[in-house]
Amino acid sequence: MFERKTWFLVGMMILLIGTSGVWGASKIELTSWDIGTNDGVIKPVYEALWAEFEKANPDIVIKHVDNPSTNYQQVFTTGMAGGSGPDITTATSYPMMPGFVKQGFCLDLTSMWRKYSDRNQFLPSSLAAGTINGKIYGVPHDMYVMGLMYNKDRFKEAGIDPVNPPKNWAEFATAAQKLTNRAKQQYGYALLGMDWGDWFFEYYVWQAGGDLTKKNADGSCTLQFTSKSTIAALQYYKDLKWKYNCVQDNVLQGFDENRTDFVQGRAAMSLAATDWFSWLVGAGIDLNKIGFTQIPAGPSGKSPSQTGGSYWIINPTISKEKQVAAFKFITFMSSKQALERVLKYQADNGIMPNLLCVRQDVDLSKYLKGVSADLVGGVQKAAEKTRLEYFLKGPLSPYVAKMMQKVLTDKNADPKAAALEAQVAAQKEVVNHYNASLKK
Amino acid sequence: MTNLEIISKDLLNQPERKKRRIPWMAVWFLAPSIFSFLLFKYVPLFYAFFMSLFEYRIVNPPGTFVGFQNYASLLTSSYFWECFGNVLVFFLLYLGMTFWIPIMIALFINTIRRGNKLLRILYLIPSAIPVVSCLVLWKWMYNPGYGVFNYYLAKIGLGPFQWLNDPLFAKVAVVAPSMFGLAAGFSMGMNMLIYYSALQSIPEEILEAAKIDGAGPWQRIFRIILPNIRFIIGMQFIIFVSSVFLMFDPMFVMTQGGPVNSTRVLSLLIYNKAFGYEMDYGMAGAISCVMFLMIAVVTYIQLHFSRKGNQG
Repeated sequence: MFERKTWFLVGMMILLIGTSGVWGASKIELTSWDIGTNDGVIKPVYEALWAEFEKANPDIVIKHVDNPSTNYQQVFTTGMAGGSGPDITTATSYPMMPGFVKQGFCLDLTSMWRKYSDRNQFLPSSLAAGTINGKIYGVPHDMYVMGLMYNKDRFKEAGIDPVNPPKNWAEFATAAQKLTNRAKQQYGYALLGMDWGDWFFEYYVWQAGGDLTKKNADGSCTLQFTSKSTIAALQYYKDLKWKYNCVQDNVLQGFDENRTDFVQGRAAMSLAATDWFSWLVGAGIDLNKIGFTQIPAGPSGKSPSQTGGSYWIINPTISKEKQVAAFKFITFMSSKQALERVLKYQADNGIMPNLLCVRQDVDLSKYLKGVSADLVGGVQKAAEKTRLEYFLKGPLSPYVAKMMQKVLTDKNADPKAAALEAQVAAQKEVVNHYNASLKK
Repeated sequence: MTNLEIISKDLLNQPERKKRRIPWMAVWFLAPSIFSFLLFKYVPLFYAFFMSLFEYRIVNPPGTFVGFQNYASLLTSSYFWECFGNVLVFFLLYLGMTFWIPIMIALFINTIRRGNKLLRILYLIPSAIPVVSCLVLWKWMYNPGYGVFNYYLAKIGLGPFQWLNDPLFAKVAVVAPSMFGLAAGFSMGMNMLIYYSALQSIPEEILEAAKIDGAGPWQRIFRIILPNIRFIIGMQFIIFVSSVFLMFDPMFVMTQGGPVNSTRVLSLLIYNKAFGYEMDYGMAGAISCVMFLMIAVVTYIQLHFSRKGNQG
């Protein structure tokens, strides 16, 4: 009798465990690296959106992990190599995409994207860097446009009208010279000369009417380091440093040091992205004292701006079921309603929003009440003509940085010779291999 | 009598061999270190070589087999030789500017009776300061615009110097913090203590006898003291060479390899290749293996000569 009872209890327990297993298995668990460690101030609105998503999708449970604010690529890559990478992540910037796709970190979203009803609401330019060989690997998360940021007070002190910032290279150099006062440790323009200084240098090549590389119809690359426009840009960089003497003494100082110099009033002008304003406010800057406009035009008379940003990507190693759930979450977070909720929260709490949105159907003007009209106008002007960074930037970046640093650190350097040296080395070590790999 | 019987008889006539006992205690103590060495040193080493033979892919490893193509590309590239040249120049600079300093300090402290302990502690304290934070401080001090060096040099009519911005001077500026006990990879204070301990082991009688025989301080240093601690110097030199070849922190923190690649060394190149936009893990593996070979060859040569020297 006792034995029967025992067997009955054991049977019931097995049944219970088994059933709970079935219930447990019905939940799809995902890990998402979706908010930056520095984004604590807007976390409440994201938490509300996450709760809403899980309420609407009780079969999906998402564990949210802060995106590493520094060394994202290293942390992410290590996670992927060790099998502990996220199922979803947001911080994949435009230049990272080719490498990430090559390494197999990004799921091909083309078929899911084609079925996505809101796909036409996204700015076409926001999709360009996430589309590789006709396949879509990322859903646009955020976007920025580069422009010239300047300190209005410093302009007034130097006798420059803040309403009419410099519009071309000559005006820019003159203004930067006027804004330089070495005795007060002040200088005109925070030039980015460090290792990834090619990020800003490429704009000067565009302003001179060219580009650093050319993508041919067959997908191959042609270098244009020795073109007239690149030489003109190099010469202008050299002049800013040696002729006009209007940049920081430490031309190779880091990106963050440049930004600090601007915040502390040492630098009067700097190139900046439209998504830096919330950071500036956080650093104690009154945005009414900041101007933002198009980057001055070069000899070509044009001043295209560069767009950048980041993508949502999905880990391709997860199950099909998880992939579908991940896409569902991404589209929820990228919906008009979700983006407007975030913007409203920012407006209500005095947080400066990004002045550019990846969706065309989001009316940003409703959320920019406290922001000065000329700042918004400046951003809109900068966003008029945009382009992506130069083709094959990843492996070519060190070569461009080297020729740029050569003219910045050597007063007697010949821009033509520096460009030729960089082109010969880059052709042999990067472009020949790349072009040959296309024929395989 | 069959062959088998003869062999058996011979075996039986042999004296009983001593049973070999396994020193289990030693095995237990050594096992964790052997295991961790295998796991964290040898496995990555062989895996790096394996990776170097592929166009390595993290998600679907190992990717496309390319044989020794990564090595061929590396050895014919300008960036590899540029970085290798930088390593050699850094080696000479560290040798000239830092290697002999702890030996000098140890010799100096060894002759001091009063305050000896205090001096040893004072020299050792900087070893406890995190290297990276020191390097950041030095980077600020070097700043041509508002750094403390140019500020004080300007007061005596010198400068402004570009320090880390000058391709010719940047290497010296990177090495300079190591002269003041803030070395990366090898600690000045610890090295001084090692040399000091070695000096303590030299019998006092020999030095006294040399003194009586009329040997001056320089003669005692070069004829007695240094030859007596040459094994320690040799060992320290091997560690020094590999430390310089593997040096990463000062260049990463202070210059990121610039200006104009003048401070880019092989270890930084590995980092750039693996964690830059290229994500070329195969090439990073190839550079690691080439570096390993270089250090192994230098270490072998050094050991060979120090053994010969000891025998002679």
